Amino acid sequence: MMIGKGVDEVNIRMPEDAYERGNYVFSAYLTAVVRDSKGNIIKVHRQRSHSPTANFLWLFLPLTWYNNSGSSYTITNVTGGTCSYEAGLGGNAQDISYPSNNPEAKLPTYLAVIQVGSGSQSNPYSATRLAAPISNGSGSGQLVYNSLSVPTTIAINGNSAYFYIVQSYSNVSGATINITEVGIFLQLVLQTYTNTASTNCGQVLLWYDVFSSPISVPNNGSVTIYYTFMVNP
Amino acid sequence: MVTSDLVSEDDIANFVIPNDLPDEPMLKAYMEVKVYDKEGHIIQYHRQPMRSPTQWLLALMAIPIIGTYSSSSTEQAPSFLVNVLGLPSQQSTYITNPTYGSPYNSANIVWDFSIQLGSGTQAFSVTLKSLAAPIANGSGAGQLSYVATTASYSGTTIYTYVTVINYSPTTINVTEIGLIGIIYIQYQNSSNAWATNTFTYLLTYDTFSLAITLPPGAIATFGVALSFSG
Repeated sequence: MMIGKGVDEVNIRMPEDAYERGNYVFSAYLTAVVRDSKGNIIKVHRQRSHSPTANFLWLFLPLTWYNNSGSSYTITNVTGGTCSYEAGLGGNAQDISYPSNNPEAKLPTYLAVIQVGSGSQSNPYSATRLAAPISNGSGSGQLVYNSLSVPTTIAINGNSAYFYIVQSYSNVSGATINITEVGIFLQLVLQTYTNTASTNCGQVLLWYDVFSSPISVPNNGSVTIYYTFMVNP
Repeated sequence: MVTSDLVSEDDIANFVIPNDLPDEPMLKAYMEVKVYDKEGHIIQYHRQPMRSPTQWLLALMAIPIIGTYSSSSTEQAPSFLVNVLGLPSQQSTYITNPTYGSPYNSANIVWDFSIQLGSGTQAFSVTLKSLAAPIANGSGAGQLSYVATTASYSGTTIYTYVTVINYSPTTINVTEIGLIGIIYIQYQNSSNAWATNTFTYLLTYDTFSLAITLPPGAIATFGVALSFSG
């Protein structure tokens, strides 16, 4: 315990003496499993993930912050388009859409893709797109984006809890493809609960990482990418 | 990190939860408390790491990642939200004119944070749902008046703090603290009026290394900071 010298405002800086090395309450991991043309695993790459983007953090902010500040956040989507987000309660607030029994009100917000790319960028916090996205297809330099898997529950092991999302990709381009970056995109719709106003924000980058070494996917091979999120690792 | 050996399919489950990677935190958290006497002088200042996020914090963080619909073509929430958070797979809302498929009324989701204080202790579990002995809001014996919850945001740190006043005639010791998450699903009820379906979760739970003492008339600020790497 320390005794302060006087009354002052709450300091929102992260003090260096207020956490312990090794006391990490949340971690994210990135795993890539590469298979050859026969389906044999030829490489597993693992690294820590570091990079929620500004889009994620602003969407995660509590209602109280928006109410207190009166501020809104301009979300920039993958194509450079923007929309304004200000969490709120009541008929005028455009919040994240939620499924209802009105069949005419289908304005889905859903996990769109774990996109991979062949570039890199140094400031993932402000990233809104991959530096050099690898498009979906079978042409030169392309990968076939296969199924995207979302968890149905959280796994618990002692005091640790985790879930992971998975997407796989096939390389039928005729040549080896190197993956160097990866990002999670959410298809985001903001709407009033009365459905009198809605904004399709498009695909929004929420998480971005650069691989510590390139992931080489051989021709006729495949790669599966796992994003694991864990508390009390 | 790259493995040197080929692995079997059975090993993949182990690789998605690696425990051998260098320590590089993605989220750090701490708590901060300031206690003032009734004259406004600070009489106690305490700061310690926050150690104990529950599965509910992880689940809340999942919403902006996995979204609120299971796909682009279904009017159903992901089973994750139903199974873990207990949210409805579909929020029932008042449909103005179903005969004509009226587009009016749907639902949306928003969340908030608050802080709960307590006077007990308990062993941590990642599935904990409440404090051991929550201190109720009020001015009676053993109660604290929760005046206001505020949130700040700076860079990559989200700071939530609550101000409480001890109006009771006795000293109150605070020994535990929880960051609370509240999810609101907004919809139009059967009377065609605004309504919220509310869900509350204990996002973090910690006990103080030293009890926080609030004498009668004391004012205190309890804060929880979540700092992400960015």
